[in-house]
Amino acid sequence: MLITADMKMADLIHLDFQLLAVIQRIGIPLGFREKTIDEVCIENGVNTDFFLQLSNSFHDKEYFPKEKFLRFNPEWLVNFLRRTHQCYMEHKIPEIEEQIIQLENDLKGTKQSYELIKNFFTEYIRELGVHIELEEKKVFPYVMALSESIANKEISSDLNESFGDYNIDKYLEDHNDIEEKLFDLKNILIKYLPPPTDNCKYNSLLFEIFKLEKDLKDHSKLEEKVLIPRVRMMESELNNL
Amino acid sequence: MVRILVAEPSYLVRKGLSTVLNELKTITKIEEISGQDELNDALKSLMPNLVLINTTISSLPEADQVLKKYGSESTIISIFNSPLPDDGNETTLSVFDTKPVLLTKLRNQVKKVQKSVIQQENSEELSDREKDVLQKIALGKINKEIASELFISTHTVISHRKNITRKLGIKTVSGLTVYAILNQLIKLEDIS
Repeated sequence: MLITADMKMADLIHLDFQLLAVIQRIGIPLGFREKTIDEVCIENGVNTDFFLQLSNSFHDKEYFPKEKFLRFNPEWLVNFLRRTHQCYMEHKIPEIEEQIIQLENDLKGTKQSYELIKNFFTEYIRELGVHIELEEKKVFPYVMALSESIANKEISSDLNESFGDYNIDKYLEDHNDIEEKLFDLKNILIKYLPPPTDNCKYNSLLFEIFKLEKDLKDHSKLEEKVLIPRVRMMESELNNL
Repeated sequence: MVRILVAEPSYLVRKGLSTVLNELKTITKIEEISGQDELNDALKSLMPNLVLINTTISSLPEADQVLKKYGSESTIISIFNSPLPDDGNETTLSVFDTKPVLLTKLRNQVKKVQKSVIQQENSEELSDREKDVLQKIALGKINKEIASELFISTHTVISHRKNITRKLGIKTVSGLTVYAILNQLIKLEDIS
């Protein structure tokens, strides 16, 4: 179903509660009463079309208006990706970590497997952290500096001083696949780990990992299909100044 | 389970093909992509047994390379945007094909693939050689070292690694290490 501006915001959540993530990450608080998507967006200073395109593409895997995304202000996208990172590091990852720690008691007979899983996930968190930090500290500020320079039609001193000859290809060189480890963790838990005594806890851990994996996939899709091509566009635009 | 990748730019054609494939009532996993830029990731993650690809995509040099690299074990069926003569060639289909023609072609191809899939799935256990390779991977050795220690070529090591990943559903070295320890191929103390 296509999400449109005249729908009520509350109905949108009833339609697909996973869109709560989009609403939160775009910076809109709850408490909508009977307001439409358009009204809520205007009230919160969010571009309605940007919100609609994001919601539609999160709601329907096959709806991905790449060309449209490329025309939006890149800063909106960066802000959205930033909030997503924050959500991972402050909520999702600690929640999963907590659930793994909870497994210790259930895996008593096989202390070793608990240690293995815990270490595996700790290593994953470290990798994810490095990945996110690179984007937060380097890529996003770079995108902002590019965007500012284009708006002012001249290369800003910030872009010159802080980034020199940095370009997006350098980022791609150390951009590695952060989903593979989660994929492995899933299979180890499903297929190979001796089953723990409490299935309910174990299932909810798996459920969280599946959700995080899907979320990360959507996140990388935005980075790879929109952010990076957008940066390339800006880079060539600046070269032609 | 037969894994099928549909690579077709037209949304309507893609949906139509998926619908026809679903009518075959074989247990399949169908993934759809619309262009060459998604081909690499889709081939790597899905490891499809069957690839239905539009010639406007497969004729691109980049796509051709990717197909050779990651699709060498998949059966490829080309989708043409023009009418084709009914010459019994089952590895090509046209968007103008009638339902009976499409169903016949696809059913035969899927059946063929299914046979080999069933054989493969029955041999999901790691072979002794694969276990040797896995043990060395888990100990942190690189392909070259593994090759010289087992007296095989690096090419063979790579193909063992592919099979191990396919059979276990584990891609990363640290994931394989966890598997190796859980299955007593190596001991926790062996790795520093």
